[in-house]
Amino acid sequence: MDSGLVALVLNSHLPFVRQPDYPRFLEERWLFESLSETYLPLLRVFARLESDKVPWKLTLALSPTLEAMFGDALLRSRYTAWLKMQLELAEKEMVRCAGDPDFAPLATMYYNLYLKDSEDFTMLYSGNLLGALDFYYKKGRIDLMTSGATNAFMPIYRNYQAATTAQVEAAVVSFRAAFGRSPSGFWMPQLGWYPGIEETLSAYGLQYSVVSTRGALLGDPTPRYGSYAPVSCPNGFTTFIRDIASTNDVWSETSGYPADPAYRDFYRDIGFDLPLDYVGPYIEQNQIRTFTGFKYWSITGGNDQKAPYSPELAAARVEEHASRFLQARAAQAKAASVHMNGRPPLMVAPYDAELFGHGWFEGPGWLETVFRKAQATEDLRFVTLSEYRRSYPDNFESVPEYSSWGDGGYGGIWLEKSNDWVYRHVFKLIERMIELAERFPNESGLRERVLNQAAREVMLAQASDWPFLLRAGKSGSFARKQIEDAVTNFNRIYEMLCANTVGTEWLTKLEKRNNIFPSINYRVFRHKR
Amino acid sequence: MTRRRYFSDDENVNVERLNSLSIDALYALSEKMALDLPPDLEKVFIVEALFEAFEEDNEDRKSAGDAAVHIEEKKYSGSELDEIDASIDAAPCIVCRYNETIVHVIARDPAWAFVFWDLRDEELDELRASDSFSHLFLRVIKEPGYDGKSTASFEVVVGEEDDHWYLHLPEEDRSYRVDLYAKTGTKSRLLAHSPVIRTPRALMADSLADLDPGAAELAALSGLAILEIVQAPMRHPSRILGGFDE
Repeated sequence: MDSGLVALVLNSHLPFVRQPDYPRFLEERWLFESLSETYLPLLRVFARLESDKVPWKLTLALSPTLEAMFGDALLRSRYTAWLKMQLELAEKEMVRCAGDPDFAPLATMYYNLYLKDSEDFTMLYSGNLLGALDFYYKKGRIDLMTSGATNAFMPIYRNYQAATTAQVEAAVVSFRAAFGRSPSGFWMPQLGWYPGIEETLSAYGLQYSVVSTRGALLGDPTPRYGSYAPVSCPNGFTTFIRDIASTNDVWSETSGYPADPAYRDFYRDIGFDLPLDYVGPYIEQNQIRTFTGFKYWSITGGNDQKAPYSPELAAARVEEHASRFLQARAAQAKAASVHMNGRPPLMVAPYDAELFGHGWFEGPGWLETVFRKAQATEDLRFVTLSEYRRSYPDNFESVPEYSSWGDGGYGGIWLEKSNDWVYRHVFKLIERMIELAERFPNESGLRERVLNQAAREVMLAQASDWPFLLRAGKSGSFARKQIEDAVTNFNRIYEMLCANTVGTEWLTKLEKRNNIFPSINYRVFRHKR
Repeated sequence: MTRRRYFSDDENVNVERLNSLSIDALYALSEKMALDLPPDLEKVFIVEALFEAFEEDNEDRKSAGDAAVHIEEKKYSGSELDEIDASIDAAPCIVCRYNETIVHVIARDPAWAFVFWDLRDEELDELRASDSFSHLFLRVIKEPGYDGKSTASFEVVVGEEDDHWYLHLPEEDRSYRVDLYAKTGTKSRLLAHSPVIRTPRALMADSLADLDPGAAELAALSGLAILEIVQAPMRHPSRILGGFDE
C-alpha cells in the first residue's frame, strides 16, 4: 500500500509567436530559449532516467500553440540558425574568459550546452520534439494533456459557449493530429476554471483537469479529502487539485528552492553587461539589449554583490532540495493518510515547464534527482494523472468554483485597467464569428477558407498571454499588436464576406502567416441547438 | 430600491473618490474589506480607514505577487525595455468602438465586475436632443428572474463619455445583470441589458464545524490558512481599527 502518491504536472506553453514576415524576431527567442534551456535538457533527463531504469512518471500539458510551433518547419530552421549563433557567441566567450578561473569553465559549459542542443535537435530528434515526447507518452512515462487552443482564460468567455467550445475542439483536433490519439486530460489555461465547463470538456471525450486549491475548496460541497484526492463533477469529469505545499516549495519567490543563493542568477546576462559592439550581433538589431543566455553569476545578493556561479555548489543544493522535497511530501502524506479512509493521499504538483531550466537553471537536474532519490523510499510513488484516475475512478462529488492560479485566485490578472480594453474587441469578434457561422453554415472552397481563417483570428485574439503581458508591462507593445492584428484581420474578413468579395492574395498570405490549426472548422462557432 | 454609486477598480481608489460615496456605501465597502468599523463613525474616518486598507491591499499585491505569474514573466523576458516597437511595423489602428448599443459585464472576482457599454451615436444624439433627457445610468440587478424582475437592484449614474466601469458587487455567489438606461424626465428608458453573470464564492460553501473531523483536518492540511476562505469573525485581525475614539 502506498503511503503517498505524487503527480508532477508540467504546463508547457508559449503563445504563438511565429513571425515569418521578419528575418529575425525578438519574441521568437522565447521559443528558442525554452527549447535550449527547458525542453532539450528535460528530454536528456528523461533519456538518462530511462537508461538507468528509474521508475519516473510525470504529466505534461502541452498547449496547442507550443505544439504547433514545435512542429513548424520555419521555426525549426530558425532555431537551428539561432543555435549556430549561440555557438559562435560561446566560442567568443571562451576566448574572452580564457584564464579566468571562475568564468572560463562557465563559458565552456555554455559551449557544451549549445553543442549538445544542436546535436540532439538536428541528429537525435531530427527537429521532431513532438516525436520525442510521443516516445515517452507511448511508454507510459509521460501522460500528455492538451490545453486551451490559444491559452484563453476561459472564465471570461463563459457566456460565449461557442468560443469556449472552439478552444476545446481546436485543441483536441490538434492533439490528435500530433499524437494520433485523443487526449484524455485538459489543462485549463491559468487554471482558469468555472462551473459548467466540465460539460463542454466531457463532450469532447476529455476526462480530467487540474484546478487550484482555492477553486476546489470553494467547491460545493467542500471536498471530503481536501486537496489530497480529486473530485468528480456530477457528469463524471474529474478535477485534480493543486497541492499548495509542493507548489510553494518550488515556486515561492522568497522561500522556494530556486531562490537559493547558490543557484544561477536569471537576470545578470552578458546581453546587458558587456559593450554593445561585442554583444551586438547576438542581440536584436545590434542594439536592443536582450538576454543572450550567457549568465555567469549566482543569485547571491544585489547586482553589485553577486558571486560567480559555481555549478558544483549549485549541484550540492540540488541534492539537498531534492531530498527536502521528498521528505516534505512524505511527511505531508503521513499526516494526511490518517484521515483518508485507507486511500493514499495524492499530491498534485503543477508547475510551469519553463521554470525548469529557463527560469531555474538547475531545475531539470533537480527533477532528475527527485526521481532518482525517490527510488530509495517506500513512502512515495510518482503517478500520472490518468494512471491515478484509472486506479481510483470513484471520487467525492463536487463542482469546483470559478478560480485561477493568478494573483488573488480569480481573474484579476487578465482583467484590470491595463488590459480590460481587450474584451470589447474580442467579444465583438466572437459575436461576429457566431453571426458568420450562422449565415454561412455549409460553405466550401474559398469561402470556407476565409471563414476558417476568421475563426483562427478570433482564437488568436483570445490568448490570455496578451492581457498578461499588457499587465506585466513587458513586451506590451508586442502584445497589443497581436490583438490589434487579429482584430483587424478578422474585421477585414467580416467586411469582405458582408460585401461578398474575397481578396485571395491577401487571404493566402494571412493563412501562411497565421498557419496554426490547419484542420480548424469554423462551424464550431455555430450556436449549439 | 437602493441607489448606490460604486467606483472603478481598487488600484485607483483615492480619497476624493471615496468621499464621493454615501455613508451607507462606505460601510458596505468596509464590510467587504473586512474592516471592523464602529457604527456612527464620521465620514472622514471611514474614508481614511478604507483608503489605508486599499493601500495595504495594493502593497500586499505588489510585494507578494503570485509565483505562477512571476515565473510566467520570466519566460517572456526578452529585452530590458518595451522596445520591440522598433522591430515591427506600426500596428494597424483599430476602432475603439463599434457604434452599437450594448452592455456587457464580466465577473472578475467575488466583489468586482467589469462593465463596458456603448451607445449608438444616433441614439445618443436623439437623447441629447430631448429636453427631458438628464443622464445615463446602469441598473445592477441582483438575482434577475427569467422575467427580468428582481427584488434588489441599485443604480450607478454614468457620464455620456464613459464606456466602462468596475462595479463593486454587494454579494458573492449571486447572479447579476446590468442594464443600461437613459433617464428622461421621470421615466427610465431601457437601452440594453447584459447577459447574467454570477460572482464566485469567496468563502467555503460549508463551515468547518459542519464537516466531519477528518474532512476538516484534510482541508486544513490543504492550506486553508493561506487561502483565507474560511468564514470566521476576524479574518484580518491586523485591520481591527481601535483608534477612532481617541
